[in-house]
Amino acid sequence: MPVASAEASTSRKQGRGRSVNVFGGLSHVALLIWAVLVIFPIVWTFLASFKTNTELFGDTPLALPHQFHWDAWGRAWAKAHIGLYLVNTIKVVAISTFLTMLFGSMAAYVLARYTFFGNKAIYLLFVSGLSFPVFLALAPLWLTMKNLGLLGTHTGVVLVYVAYSLPFTVFFLTAFFRTLPTSVGEAAMMDGCSHTRTFFQIMMPMAKPGLISITIFNVIGQWNQYLLPIVLLPGDAQDKWLITQGIANISTNAGYEADWAGLFAALSMAIIPVLIVYIIFQRQIQSGLTTGALK
Amino acid sequence: MASIVLSNVDKIYAGGVKAVNGLNLEIRDGEFMVLVGPSGCGKSTALRMIAGLEDISGGEISIGDRVVNHLPPKDRDIAMVFQNYALYPHMTVEENLAFGLKLRKMPKAEIQKRVGDAARMLGLEQYLKRKPAALSGGQRQRVAMGRAIVREPQAFLMDEPLSNLDAKLRVSMRASLNQLHERLGVTTVYVTHDQVEAMTLGDRVCVLRDGLLQQVDTPQNLFDSPVNLFVAGFMGSPSMNFTYAELTRDDDGAAVAFADYKLPVPDSTFDEKPGLDRYIGKKIILGIRPSDFEDSVAANGNAAGWVRIPVRANVTEELGSEINVLFTIDAPPVEHKDTVAAQHDGDEEEAAALPLAGDKSLWTARVNARSHVRPGQDIELVVDTHNLHFFDVDSGLSIGHEANVGA
Repeated sequence: MPVASAEASTSRKQGRGRSVNVFGGLSHVALLIWAVLVIFPIVWTFLASFKTNTELFGDTPLALPHQFHWDAWGRAWAKAHIGLYLVNTIKVVAISTFLTMLFGSMAAYVLARYTFFGNKAIYLLFVSGLSFPVFLALAPLWLTMKNLGLLGTHTGVVLVYVAYSLPFTVFFLTAFFRTLPTSVGEAAMMDGCSHTRTFFQIMMPMAKPGLISITIFNVIGQWNQYLLPIVLLPGDAQDKWLITQGIANISTNAGYEADWAGLFAALSMAIIPVLIVYIIFQRQIQSGLTTGALK
Repeated sequence: MASIVLSNVDKIYAGGVKAVNGLNLEIRDGEFMVLVGPSGCGKSTALRMIAGLEDISGGEISIGDRVVNHLPPKDRDIAMVFQNYALYPHMTVEENLAFGLKLRKMPKAEIQKRVGDAARMLGLEQYLKRKPAALSGGQRQRVAMGRAIVREPQAFLMDEPLSNLDAKLRVSMRASLNQLHERLGVTTVYVTHDQVEAMTLGDRVCVLRDGLLQQVDTPQNLFDSPVNLFVAGFMGSPSMNFTYAELTRDDDGAAVAFADYKLPVPDSTFDEKPGLDRYIGKKIILGIRPSDFEDSVAANGNAAGWVRIPVRANVTEELGSEINVLFTIDAPPVEHKDTVAAQHDGDEEEAAALPLAGDKSLWTARVNARSHVRPGQDIELVVDTHNLHFFDVDSGLSIGHEANVGA
């Protein structure tokens, strides 16, 4: 009897192992397909920036370029002012992400940790911002910015970006702060921390994984904004343009004579900074920081 | 160092739940006071109110000569050890210890000295540069203690600091805590649900139930003369045996009758418990501590004033130095709200064993290991009749207890 049950248990174990393997194999196939879907366009974009228009529209669009010349990159950088727009974008995104994270995390912490009259209402107000499409706000935003005299300035764009990023940031971080142990904050209070110091010196470091995730989300989201800059930075403020406008301009301005290689070079330039940000930060997300605080 | 005085302290949560109800408690300077009770009795809430982490709904709390009701935690000059330690995960042990001192703008040299002293006292010297994540549970617990010690506060507040340690470590930390209190002599308020911890650590123990103070006294007094059924059932392990019984007096003297047994009540008991004679001829609840039993064979020659009762052992738990003998007596189990409450948080197996006994009560006797009693065996137990406990059937109050005499 013990022998039989032992056999039964081993066969069951094997059975479970097999099912895990089948499932694991399938999921790896799915991941592989996903990886190809993501990587292929990026690589193709990068390679296309070295081709000529004829190569691009020829019979073998998937072939490697004949020669690796950086001409298109130079044209995009200098002639299409992508260099200037890149700097503009970095400036705007850096400032607005910083402000979003600062205000968002402070608001989220207070909403998550303090009970006061109207707490829930304010939280819901923030969250309701998630359901408000950008298109609906375009006209009023344009008017507001015009009245404030901020149309065509980076300040205006930063303000709008912050406002548009806050709902999700607050939504996400409130949930995150709620998962952090209350007792650590209380210990800090007993140690003599003020509320502000508790937040900046104790809670922020503990919330690092959450802050980094949402920072990446915001950087990518704001970097890729196209509609808002188009409205807020009109054509007469061309030196203030952001990179998405610059890229679009390459294809629209020249009509049928568009510099397609230059366009792809500009796209690659737009992709690289985001990749760098992601690679730097994603490693830090993985290491949770609360380990060791509690029992 | 300072005394802590709570007068008529209330805590009412939103929704009207009264977590602490008119609590009056004086914790003397340098005293180790343990707050004990089943979960939800308000002990942690009381501690958090002293700490300043919960608002006080009513009454007054003073530390030293200051009323602290409206002072924030940092101005109360107290330190707290949390159940889950609550260390700062991104700081090293050294920074964890020094954090509170830095905030108080203490000179660097003094901080170093205090951190060094505390680390030496707690055996943490080689871990000072580590982060909490790289420490074991016991070491983290010691860091949490150290963080309180370096502050040299007026009082320590501890919220079940040992409950996350494994059994063996808990016992050794309990001893260290005792030593630490001897050495530092700082007023300490300690919250636990473990009555063994309460008995071993406390100079005095305060038993709470549903936000109401039941009894404050030294551990020995709580054990010897509990004020009501709840305290009697909660303190002591295994817990006290209860049964409905009748108190009678005839020519042979007073006696208490239950099931098939009749135990004589010595005259001295009536002297010790004023008012007990009024219950003659009435129903009462009788309580006998398991430790007041002994196997008649093992107790030979030492049985003056002890009465023999024959029982059949159902279950025996051999603990090495002694044996717990579980036996049934032919009387319905006592179902008073107090005993139910005390059981609830106590030994869960015991509560689970009750239905098996059906209409009989399951009692425990703690006898000497030399008894060699086996399950199913008939055994003669002797009872120390000087230590019988009598309780009122309706109120559950201990008859003749000095706190209840006026009532």
